[in-house]
Amino acid sequence: MLETGIKLALTLTQIGVIMGIVLLTVAVLTLLERKVLGWMQDRMGPMEVGPYGILQPVADGLKLFFKEDIIPAGANKLMFSLAPILSLVPALIGFAVIPFGPNWTLEIFGVEFKPFVISDINIGILYILAFASIGAYGIILGGWSSNSKYSLLGGLRSAAQLISYELNVGLSIVGVLLLAGSLSMVQITEAQAGGFWNWFFFTLPFPQAIAFVVFIISAVAETNRVPFDLPEAESELVAGFFTEYSGMRFAFFFLAEYANMILVSCVATVLFFGGWHAPFSFLQGPESLTWVTGIFWFTVKVYFFLFLFFWLRATLPRLRYDQLMRFGWKVLLPIALGNIVVTSTLAYLFPGP
Amino acid sequence: MNWREWIKTLTFYEILMGMKATLSHLLNYKPITLQYPHEKKPLPDNYRGMLALLRYDDGTEKCVGCDLCEAACPSRVIRVISAEVPGEPTKRYSKEYYMDMTRCLFCGLCVEACPVDALGMTREFEWSVYDKRNLQLNKEQLLAIGDRSYPVREKRIEFQHPNVAFFNVSFKDLPQKEN
Repeated sequence: MLETGIKLALTLTQIGVIMGIVLLTVAVLTLLERKVLGWMQDRMGPMEVGPYGILQPVADGLKLFFKEDIIPAGANKLMFSLAPILSLVPALIGFAVIPFGPNWTLEIFGVEFKPFVISDINIGILYILAFASIGAYGIILGGWSSNSKYSLLGGLRSAAQLISYELNVGLSIVGVLLLAGSLSMVQITEAQAGGFWNWFFFTLPFPQAIAFVVFIISAVAETNRVPFDLPEAESELVAGFFTEYSGMRFAFFFLAEYANMILVSCVATVLFFGGWHAPFSFLQGPESLTWVTGIFWFTVKVYFFLFLFFWLRATLPRLRYDQLMRFGWKVLLPIALGNIVVTSTLAYLFPGP
Repeated sequence: MNWREWIKTLTFYEILMGMKATLSHLLNYKPITLQYPHEKKPLPDNYRGMLALLRYDDGTEKCVGCDLCEAACPSRVIRVISAEVPGEPTKRYSKEYYMDMTRCLFCGLCVEACPVDALGMTREFEWSVYDKRNLQLNKEQLLAIGDRSYPVREKRIEFQHPNVAFFNVSFKDLPQKEN
């Protein structure tokens, strides 16, 4: 009984810390995105609130918190309220299996405790994919229940887009899973220890660079970011599926989008870029300091991918809907399938250590 | 497509070039924006801003109530109610003078039409208000704008150069010019 209590307390603390860090990162990202976009477009970005606008996320949060919460006439109230939650929770729940640091096991009051991963389940990546699919329901239901044509069109687009690109995400990571021989995120990270040549982006017998490109493109599409932001195309659909949302419900969708970005970046880091491993083993530092450098390298890699998201947004225009579908089904899907064939053949011919 | 274009397509050449362009803007960051309320762009010399009524250096209004500005205005901004100066039957002035600045398009035709240079265009432009009735200006408000925008005033016409043509001036009360 006491053991269960301690375990519960430890896990809840861990969940609280990680949720706090994720939501704080979301706040930082909202500012960082506007700043980076501004700099890339020869603008300054937000400059008014605080020195160089660094308090802008606080101002945004306060504004959203105090805004009126409007439920449009004719909306399905239950679904309308459920959709933002259904969108946010799957985005946050995926962090449960991400290893942020070395796979240590501590003994606290006789309870085994892994400090850097909430739960090391042996189907980690499937779990993330499954919950990412549930996130699509939030978007579709939000679009449908708003009783607005723009929302409905955004929701429909997102349904088709998420389903077709989820397939590519799933297929592009199969190569990695073949090489790692495990579905557990911790095991996949462990398989890439030792230096950057062991990361699955570079590793022999078949570097997963092509799979990585497919994965990143599909990930951008899955998080509804530019250039695949058709569900929320500002110039066509006002704001897409969250046109009718305001106040905290809107903030939930907003948080979900950014949390999804972070989650996808974490997954890309873990699967293709060695998770918390440093590019050279001497950069990892001594054994006792591994957790510091591990978290450092993990953060650096994740922020690189987040920067990539902003970079793509500043560069690329939005795709047309048929281009999006054609690209997903006729280009990415064959590439991902071909990658599986080649990787599995080579992994069979040249089995690793 | 020949093989060159195939390679460009396969390696995302165009997208990479675009990303290189955006990254170069990020690295050579020179914003072209001004932080507007804190720093303002220098206005051109011939800037046509808010309209104003002007005075002579002794404080009398220049306007003679001739209605030419009202006739010249293409958007019917101006309304002049002209009257005689009490006691001086040959001299007129604008008893009331209204401008509906919500309609003004700042063409400057009224300023050109004015025979006594009683209208001027100032360099003010920040006239956003919460209530648009505040943009229906009367004579006192227009004179106040003129006073703060044109601190250096002209002499009355009869004291300017002797060869200047003028009208609507009654001579009887004036001091004689020195020859």
